[in-house]
Amino acid sequence: MCSANPKSEIRNPKSQGDVHVLVLTGYGLNCDFETAYAFELAGAVSSRVHINSLISGEHYLKDYDILVFDGGFSWGDDHGAGVIEAVRFGSSLGGALLEFIDEGKLVLGICNGFQALVNLGLLPGFDGDYKRREVALTFNDCGNFRDDWVTLQGNPDTPCVFTKGATKIELPIRHGEGKFHASPEVITRLVDNGQVVLQYALPDGGAAQGEFPYNPNGSVHDIAGICDSTGRVFGLMPHPEAFNHWTNHPDWTRMKEAMKRRGQTTHPGLTAGVQILKNGVDYIKNKH
Amino acid sequence: MPSRLEITLKPDLFDAEGAAICRKANDYFGLGVESVRTVSILTFDSELTADRLEAIRTEIFTNPVTQVSSYEPLVIDFDWVLWVGYRPGVRDNPGSTAEEAVQDLLGIRLKPDEAIYTSKRYCLKGGNLSFDDADRIARELLANDIIQEWRVFSKDDWDTKTGVGVIIPKVRLDHKPTVTVIPIDSDKTLMSVSKERGLALNPNDVPTIRAYFLREDVLAQRRTLGISDPTDVELEYISQARSDHCNHNTFKGLFHYTDLSTQETQVVDNLFETCIEAPTLAIQKQKPWVISVLWDNAGIGRFNDDYYYVITGETHNSPSNMEAYGGAITGIVGVYRDPMGTGRGSKLVMGMYGYCVGPRDYQGELRPHLHPKRLLDGVIEGVRDGGNKSGIPTPYGQVWFHEGYLGKCLVFVTAIGLIPSQIKGEPAEEKRTSPGDLIVMCGGRVGKDGIHGVTAASESFSPHTPAGHVQIGDPYTQKKMHDFLLEARDQGLIAFITDNGGGGLSSSVGESARFSNGCVVELEKVPLKYEGLDQWEIWVSESQERMTVAIKPEDWAHFEALSKKHAVESTVIGRYTDSGRLNITYDGETCASVDMDFMASQFPQWTFEAEWTPPEMRELLEPVLTDPDDASRLLLDILARPNICSKEWIIRQYDHEVQGTSVIKPLVGKGRDVNSDAAVIRPVLDSVKGLATSQALLPTYSQIDTYHMSACTIDEAVRRVIAVGGDPERIGGVDNFCWPNIQYDPIDNPDGKYKAAQLVRANWALRDVCTAYGVPLLSGKDSMYVDGYLKGRHGETQKVSALPTLQFSCSSVISDVTRCVTMDCKFAGDLVYVLGETRNELGASEYYEHFGHVGLNVPELRPGPSMKLYGALSRAIEEELVASCHGIYRGGLGVHLALVAMGGGLGMDIDLSMVPRSDAEHDRIILYSESPGRFIVTVAPEHRSSFESCFDALPHACVGTVSSGPDLVINGLKGKHIIDIPVSELKGAWKRPFGGLI
Repeated sequence: MCSANPKSEIRNPKSQGDVHVLVLTGYGLNCDFETAYAFELAGAVSSRVHINSLISGEHYLKDYDILVFDGGFSWGDDHGAGVIEAVRFGSSLGGALLEFIDEGKLVLGICNGFQALVNLGLLPGFDGDYKRREVALTFNDCGNFRDDWVTLQGNPDTPCVFTKGATKIELPIRHGEGKFHASPEVITRLVDNGQVVLQYALPDGGAAQGEFPYNPNGSVHDIAGICDSTGRVFGLMPHPEAFNHWTNHPDWTRMKEAMKRRGQTTHPGLTAGVQILKNGVDYIKNKH
Repeated sequence: MPSRLEITLKPDLFDAEGAAICRKANDYFGLGVESVRTVSILTFDSELTADRLEAIRTEIFTNPVTQVSSYEPLVIDFDWVLWVGYRPGVRDNPGSTAEEAVQDLLGIRLKPDEAIYTSKRYCLKGGNLSFDDADRIARELLANDIIQEWRVFSKDDWDTKTGVGVIIPKVRLDHKPTVTVIPIDSDKTLMSVSKERGLALNPNDVPTIRAYFLREDVLAQRRTLGISDPTDVELEYISQARSDHCNHNTFKGLFHYTDLSTQETQVVDNLFETCIEAPTLAIQKQKPWVISVLWDNAGIGRFNDDYYYVITGETHNSPSNMEAYGGAITGIVGVYRDPMGTGRGSKLVMGMYGYCVGPRDYQGELRPHLHPKRLLDGVIEGVRDGGNKSGIPTPYGQVWFHEGYLGKCLVFVTAIGLIPSQIKGEPAEEKRTSPGDLIVMCGGRVGKDGIHGVTAASESFSPHTPAGHVQIGDPYTQKKMHDFLLEARDQGLIAFITDNGGGGLSSSVGESARFSNGCVVELEKVPLKYEGLDQWEIWVSESQERMTVAIKPEDWAHFEALSKKHAVESTVIGRYTDSGRLNITYDGETCASVDMDFMASQFPQWTFEAEWTPPEMRELLEPVLTDPDDASRLLLDILARPNICSKEWIIRQYDHEVQGTSVIKPLVGKGRDVNSDAAVIRPVLDSVKGLATSQALLPTYSQIDTYHMSACTIDEAVRRVIAVGGDPERIGGVDNFCWPNIQYDPIDNPDGKYKAAQLVRANWALRDVCTAYGVPLLSGKDSMYVDGYLKGRHGETQKVSALPTLQFSCSSVISDVTRCVTMDCKFAGDLVYVLGETRNELGASEYYEHFGHVGLNVPELRPGPSMKLYGALSRAIEEELVASCHGIYRGGLGVHLALVAMGGGLGMDIDLSMVPRSDAEHDRIILYSESPGRFIVTVAPEHRSSFESCFDALPHACVGTVSSGPDLVINGLKGKHIIDIPVSELKGAWKRPFGGLI
């Protein structure tokens, strides 16, 4: 397993049939181990690859099926979260990235990775233009970094391949710049295209309508995640990889006690977090 | 010619940073600021064509959706403009990442003398603001004059063409590095030089140092190298190595301890050996899970067959007191280098914090350098950025308010790492340097940062002299280095690794060279931030984010390549030898040559007079108080006291879930808002094994007896890990002492002898309790001299000493995290048990403090019986008989029953007459006594008998039930309701004091 094991070995992504996931590392990214691990739970073969190993040609994007811009503080987030990561990636791997998408493969951006995707222009990617910046993730209205679990409402009508069947789910958020912002025209267009994938919600699943802390950052239209028009490029602020075990959930001791009293054994199957990743992995498997 | 780019949010967007400044300015200073808009400024000290400048502006630094920018001053309405930028030589992290981005986009390299600087412009609206108001906001809220400079512009001063001007804080030292020879013709001369140069040599050491440099054989040896009298480099090296910080002279000192009640005197020789080392080594013999203690940068315990965990704790008090944000971020980022430098290097998996500060609402007459409110905000933000940007979860911490910390605040930071038990088949905990190994410095560059700590802070600043002393930790640079070193470690390239902290290269090279027994360092090879540093400055600079690594020559090429891939700078600065000498050259000239065994040679032991005055002789008495008529009101008031109430606003600023390992979070319960007893993580993701960690502080008990302060603090930290399911047999401890100066002086420190006795007694308790509990001290540190000199109302200076403080941290391995429990009660109808005995121990309690008393009956620990109880409890948890478990800590039973009820969002019916007790026959004693060794446990009715059977002959009793009603109802000894409050009201009171903060 590619566990939290601090060994940074990269397995050879050539074996056929497997779904190969590339998780970026380096320059202040910091969710690479658990993201790689959660994708392994989802049935993929994960590799943690340093951005510079892609640029130097030590590794090639084309050898992989899913590219993950994982969470962290790339370049310290000093000039806007994900800004410099987008510059580095765009200026040295922009072409390879567009080919990767053309080949029908998947790109996932989580938190800082989502910020990088919008700064690259990969999202929202209207009209297949993957270079135009039309949405932004900016400073939380609460004025601070915030760690909390949020309730999310999935959009049944989205083309996003990662959220098949996702209705109400809970995931952790941990960010200071997660406020989704775009012009009313862009928002309307995202809604009409079903590109709004996840929205912050009240605990009962009702719309948060901007109410703090259910909408933790003041995101316009409670938007927590969007995809491109193909549904194969997906970015979200919450962290599915951080819900990789049922004991990650803030209420797990309460749930366990309740199930015990109902005479049930406590072992839920895949967590909602891993399920999101598995949807992506299964999409590639079915394509093979 | 340089260019200045201004960037700001579009006018229609909410400026969260500006709003926070506006709030703080009005809140801290009672001003009428109406709005603040922030402008980021980038100053390019580089020749760039118009096209390139435009490309940089649009492609990198301006978000078309949210921002506008211009190379001309942006037009923004204001009454006052404040500009704030770094002083020359202060680490400008955004400036260096901006350089990376520009070089990426344009495919160019900036020339050595070119750079990009960042600064900020704040546009204030507020009709009534005077120049002094604006200047105050700049000086006291936005800038710190140690590291930053600022300018204030009124509407009239403002030139729309030039704006703030083009300010380039480039360091220019027109100075040729020179080695100075120090005369040692007499102790007096050497001592006076020591004073001039801020060497802080101990007078007792001076004769030993002179004797060495006057030895015939030494002189002969030195002549062959072209040197005679000691150089400044050598004396700086010696003073660093002998400093209390590096050498722990106080804990290794000789104490003459007298108990003034009996006049009995005894000699206590070396607290470190007798109270820390000896007990720990004895326990290590019994407990094979204790892998490595007392020599490396951090202690090592076994986690499972494949992994060890690594733990240490540090303080960063003085720097945080001077510059809260910079001091705190440097502290947390610094302590994270200790596990990185332990064994062959470990991965960071967790951090914790402890802050001791003056009252946040302090309105007294003393004038601390920073008001506690601003100081605490800065400390919180420093640890937030240091931890979050390192990608390390911070799932546990604590805060203690007391006026004693006005003189100097305490900032505790604890780091935990994980390391494979074997690296390429070799034991990961073992490391050594060998003759021929390369001395490699990795990470940041060297500047004047942190040279001589505080002495540098009082230097005056000219426009181009670098700001010394206070450093700004850079988690981004360190994170890159961390990832790089782990990869190098796993490829077996690291023979030895240690961090550059206090003393810089002087300590890291000096200590690592002991293994090979010598080294040669070529100082001119050390990469500098700017030219013009003297040799001794390069040698002792405490510039951050650096590790010293020993690499075999044959591995260098491979190591260097990895370093390049990770964009980390690594430089060979010398070799380890077996010459028996530490040699330093600069451009081929010897500037230091000291025998390796000199430091180990007989320096005189520090000695202290210690006089213990027992509390009775200090006329401490129990106050005369009755039970209150309104016991409900009293409970609500105590829940709202600063050291009891909710501090959720701090906890949520810290990422406690990164790495995906979170099991027990800092906030738990139905509302996810009540403090957990301890944190639990699952550091190896594919294993259900966990690590429980906790910390405790009880400094107020020091007012009565530091022995019991120390004992109760250790017990609380231990109980906290037990409460979540920790294994009592696998608990490790970390001791962090923060003490006022204990060296008696009739004028400056008249109670020095008493404070020395307090230190001895605290250590005796450490020895006794750790031995009784079988808790090895995996790591520990001491920070003496927590005294401050504050200006008072009349301009006089008053000395303020902190309470003698011990922070104790515990770690314990948990075999299966799915058996962990949280503190919140779960179901109506469950039985509520109290375990452990409640005694008449209100001395120094929160309850007495509420009434302005100290009292006499300080809580006393009985370790033997307590440990039996903890063993029984952990079996009950292991057998899953427990629905919730919570220790009874500060505030006593009343406060902690309320917390258990709040956690579950359920009422309780409690009968105090059932509580196990001795000599506690008043409601107030049962509710507020802080007797250690106690827990509140809730149990499903069907488990009643099997639960109780775990506690035969141990103090335990069912004191009530969790109710379906909304109220906490408590019956007193006389049988009537003394407390009946809705749980929602309890929580309201507990959250109110800091509830408005985010």
